[in-house]
Amino acid sequence: MENIIEVHDLAYQYPDADQRAALDGVSFDVHPGEWLAIVGHNGSGKSTLAKALDGLLPFTQGTVTVGGVVLSPETVWQVRAQIGMIFQNPDNQFVGATVEDDVAFGLENRQVPRDQMLTRVAAALDRVGMTKFANRAPSSLSGGQKQRVALAGIVAMAPKILILDEATSMLDPQGRQAMLALVKELHREQQLTVISITHDIDEAASANRILVIDDGHLIEENVPAAIFAQGERLMDLGLDVPFTAKLAAALQQRGITPPTGYQTTQEMEEWLWQSLSNTSATPTKPTHP
Amino acid sequence: MVVAITFEHVGYTYQADTPLATPALDDVSLTVPDHGYLAVIGHTGSGKSTLIQQLNALLKPTTGQLTVDEFTITPTTTNADLKPLRQHVGMVFQFPESQLFEETIQKDIAFGPQNFGMAETDALALADQMLTQVGLDASYAQRSPFELSGGQMRRVAIAGVLAMHPQVLVLDEPTAGLDPQGRQEMMALFDRLHRERGLTIVLVTHQMEDVAQYAEQVAVMRQGKLVKEGTPQEIFGDPDWLRANQLDVPRAAQFAQDLTAHGVTWPQGLPLTASALADQLAAQWPKGGAAHV
Repeated sequence: MENIIEVHDLAYQYPDADQRAALDGVSFDVHPGEWLAIVGHNGSGKSTLAKALDGLLPFTQGTVTVGGVVLSPETVWQVRAQIGMIFQNPDNQFVGATVEDDVAFGLENRQVPRDQMLTRVAAALDRVGMTKFANRAPSSLSGGQKQRVALAGIVAMAPKILILDEATSMLDPQGRQAMLALVKELHREQQLTVISITHDIDEAASANRILVIDDGHLIEENVPAAIFAQGERLMDLGLDVPFTAKLAAALQQRGITPPTGYQTTQEMEEWLWQSLSNTSATPTKPTHP
Repeated sequence: MVVAITFEHVGYTYQADTPLATPALDDVSLTVPDHGYLAVIGHTGSGKSTLIQQLNALLKPTTGQLTVDEFTITPTTTNADLKPLRQHVGMVFQFPESQLFEETIQKDIAFGPQNFGMAETDALALADQMLTQVGLDASYAQRSPFELSGGQMRRVAIAGVLAMHPQVLVLDEPTAGLDPQGRQEMMALFDRLHRERGLTIVLVTHQMEDVAQYAEQVAVMRQGKLVKEGTPQEIFGDPDWLRANQLDVPRAAQFAQDLTAHGVTWPQGLPLTASALADQLAAQWPKGGAAHV
């Protein structure tokens, strides 16, 4: 299967920063239709990486290939046509006076005929459940609604790749869940390749694969369950510790040994109620005499 | 009980007496004990921020009144009376780092005390002290606040608030936008200020895990009204009510409730944190399966 994105030996250094490289020798591939999460603590270089993929940063070394096109100043628009990006602060990405105008903006830029544009904008707003806000000013919307409008823009443009750069981090829990559910649907329905840069454990859990960036280096790459099995160390990677891992650690301190490895909530619950109801069998060994 | 904060039938209307009048607080009555830790939860737009802005009279009640220790704020309180109140109640707004402006961190922290009449040398010395309070060492004093990470900048902004020696600390979503580690460190800092320096804390947050872990009292706001108030146990012990009000349930409580469906009981009440859950599980763990530690 051909990769939709190939990153080879990427490096970048901010012009006036101290000697430290923001990215150093980063290489990885993204498969078509995959959901890839990129995690790392604040300042690790993960947002720099996202910008580099979209040609928003003049990286100093390495190559980025998107849909077979090698990114260069000449091809940057060919690359960007394939990628939709949503950033952390929704206020920084609105250009239209109304929600509808804003969604239409990208299509106008591509000179889509007006009748087609109207139907695509209407369909996109409907898809994200924002039809009744079509004539509202974007500034009058809540954070969650703004991000839905940003997603409508993505639906209208139908790029192959969606990059979410901490797109849910400023939303309240409800807004975050609604946004994540919507991205999951689009990912499934439109075979959209999703790259999400995140600190959110639920968002990371939605991915097929997780890359961990630390200090400008790619230090780890694995499926979510393997990453989450690291328990307390996840804090250093810029993620929260999953609840089941916190509970496992707390049980261990009380002399109860849970199964090893990452447990989903359901697995953990099942193991607990079976252990509690089964008084004769001894599913665990005491760790202390 | 010595009371630090009392709201008595407080109402607030934005742009009152104009055609655009929007009621934001409706008949809120509430008391917070001295050295208390109150968490205010509720949806975006429920009136949480309007409520806490009454505490240092950034917004003054349209009806009713409130007292904060020796200060009383009524609809007719004039701005001339507010200086001591604003020194007494420290406010940390959302994204406080956006209010940093000085060329060195030390000067930024010293700005508030100097503004309230402290001599420059004293204010600079105080700034150094406050820096260590928020977990940054003295080497930061002469650096520019703008070369710090988001979490560090926020600490500097908080040090500036602490330099005023407030007795009440009001925090409006203080961990928004920080990574999980930064969030945890920030919450531990407030907890320390609460326990060691006896600050009364009022925290507005969407993070139910933090509420379950740190708060002593919870107020739930909806459409400008105080709809429920009690201990975290009283508020979170009823997950069905929380869900009906579209509020998040702490993970441990949700997990415990799922186990209830399999016949597990919680004699100490529904656990709200991972360690409380583990305590109750260990207590009923079958013999031979658990060591007695």
